[in-house]
Amino acid sequence: MFNGFSHSVMGASHEKTNLVCQDSSAFKVGDHYAIAVVADGHGSKKHFRSHMGSKFAVEAAIEAIDRFYEDREAFEKNLPVNHKLIIKNIEKQIISNWNMKIDKHLAENPVTDEEKSKFTPEEFEAILPESYYGSTLVAAVAGDDYTFGVQIGDGSLVAIFDDCKAVMPMEYNESAPANVTASVCNSNAAGMFSSFYAPKKKLIALYGSTDGLYTSFGSEYDFLDYHTIITSQLANLDTFKEVIKNNLAKRSRFGTEDDISLSCIYNEELLNEKLDVLKKKVEENKQAAADRKAALLNKKV
Amino acid sequence: MSNERVTEPEVNANANPLDDFDTKETVSTAPESDNSILDFDDDPLSATSVSKKSLVIFFLIDTSGSMKGKKMGELNTVMEELIPEIRRVGEADTEVKVAVLTFSTEVRWMYSNPIPIEDFEWARLRASGVTSMGAAFKELNHRMSRNSFLNSPSLSFAPVIFLMTDGYPSDDYKEGLRELQTNSWYKFGLKAALGIGQEANDNILAEFTGSKDTVVHAYSGGQLAQMIKIIAVTSSQIGSKSMTLSDDTSHELAEEDVFAAKQKLLGQQIQELVSTQTDGDDVPFDTGW
Repeated sequence: MFNGFSHSVMGASHEKTNLVCQDSSAFKVGDHYAIAVVADGHGSKKHFRSHMGSKFAVEAAIEAIDRFYEDREAFEKNLPVNHKLIIKNIEKQIISNWNMKIDKHLAENPVTDEEKSKFTPEEFEAILPESYYGSTLVAAVAGDDYTFGVQIGDGSLVAIFDDCKAVMPMEYNESAPANVTASVCNSNAAGMFSSFYAPKKKLIALYGSTDGLYTSFGSEYDFLDYHTIITSQLANLDTFKEVIKNNLAKRSRFGTEDDISLSCIYNEELLNEKLDVLKKKVEENKQAAADRKAALLNKKV
Repeated sequence: MSNERVTEPEVNANANPLDDFDTKETVSTAPESDNSILDFDDDPLSATSVSKKSLVIFFLIDTSGSMKGKKMGELNTVMEELIPEIRRVGEADTEVKVAVLTFSTEVRWMYSNPIPIEDFEWARLRASGVTSMGAAFKELNHRMSRNSFLNSPSLSFAPVIFLMTDGYPSDDYKEGLRELQTNSWYKFGLKAALGIGQEANDNILAEFTGSKDTVVHAYSGGQLAQMIKIIAVTSSQIGSKSMTLSDDTSHELAEEDVFAAKQKLLGQQIQELVSTQTDGDDVPFDTGW
């Protein structure tokens, strides 16, 4: 049985500038599958509705993935054989859903004079309507013995399989142009996704996060260790959830002041089975971090 | 069964985000800026610390034979004194790290990675050999990368790069500089240089920094101490300053404009501070030091 949680905190820099939180996050536990999703609205001037865009991206992803699970048996039979094609179709469906949602929202909520007032008429004309809602997206899916994920734009995906080691499984799309922030609002968005597929692997926990979390760490080791620590505490999720929420708030406030979202899904049975190994892993990671720091402070001259 | 939740973002409104679940006395008495007050024994996540926006200061130091004696002795002393001053620059909201590259016949890093300023200890340098400045530029180019020294996930300010030398390069410094000039961190970094004694060539140093305003000269031990402190402290202060990417008219400025504004400010401040320094009755390096 899967379980999960998700949480978004507003960054201190957005509080200072009276911006709303641009992040959204969600999780869904279905029948023999679960989905974790986060999205980070771009937040800059021309993306003035990106807080809505990130919410629509999260909804679009869950609805698209759910649709593929309407016939779970057929889906899981096809996935090992045609995973590239199926994941590509999921990406296309997410973008299609998102565009329908923003079209509907824009039709029901035309751009106001106040929103237009920040631009000259020429500047405003040059912005494509979908750009108003620009957002990134990270969506991760776990089945009984397989995992996959899709991502467009910044953000991170961390998996902890039954060896209890935290890894970042995403294979980044080399064809996505450098120096361009990939976004669900890009005209070729469906071609800008990165994805991964991990078959025949038992998953303990899977996390998606917006880049505000990653950039609050001094090293990638610390970032991965953080997920191992959370996983080791998931057996007491009801009480530990508050600690996670407060820690995310602290990371936002004392880190880069960005919004932070974290979404997690996990396998309760496997978690309980591996709890001792996970706790041992946390201690090993602490020792490894201390060893790394000691090595760093060795003078070379 | 289906269990779907969309999380509405929660505004981080509390002054102290952990106030509402822990009431230990230290919370209410310690200052807000002290991150450690938020790390409780019962919060296992505090094992991984929060990283602020970082600034790496690169010192490129000539340790060739001509630096032997008073110049190197003075430089070692000043650098030891300087570390606490730089530490204060980053205290508020920047994680300052230091990387020191020495160049003589060989090029060598003082540590294998940039070191957080609070952990940094100066290793006293010795002088010998020739001035491989070009090799130092190449090594800096190699390490100033997301795949090497600048690999921290946390966001970075453009680095500060501070070159100190007392003589003419003994290798093809132009070739090394050409390689370095292709590096984006170099392009956007704040660059300053200090010539020590009569032999240092200000034109070469200006080629490195891109402007004569960010080149200064020290002819005595007293001046060396003053100039190193002026350049290191001023450049770290400007380097760690968040300059807005939007001006008052809400037009978004390009990164190049922010960089240019910072580099110009550095040149102005260095020149202003240098002009206020007195010569004192120091003995010049080149008269018997």
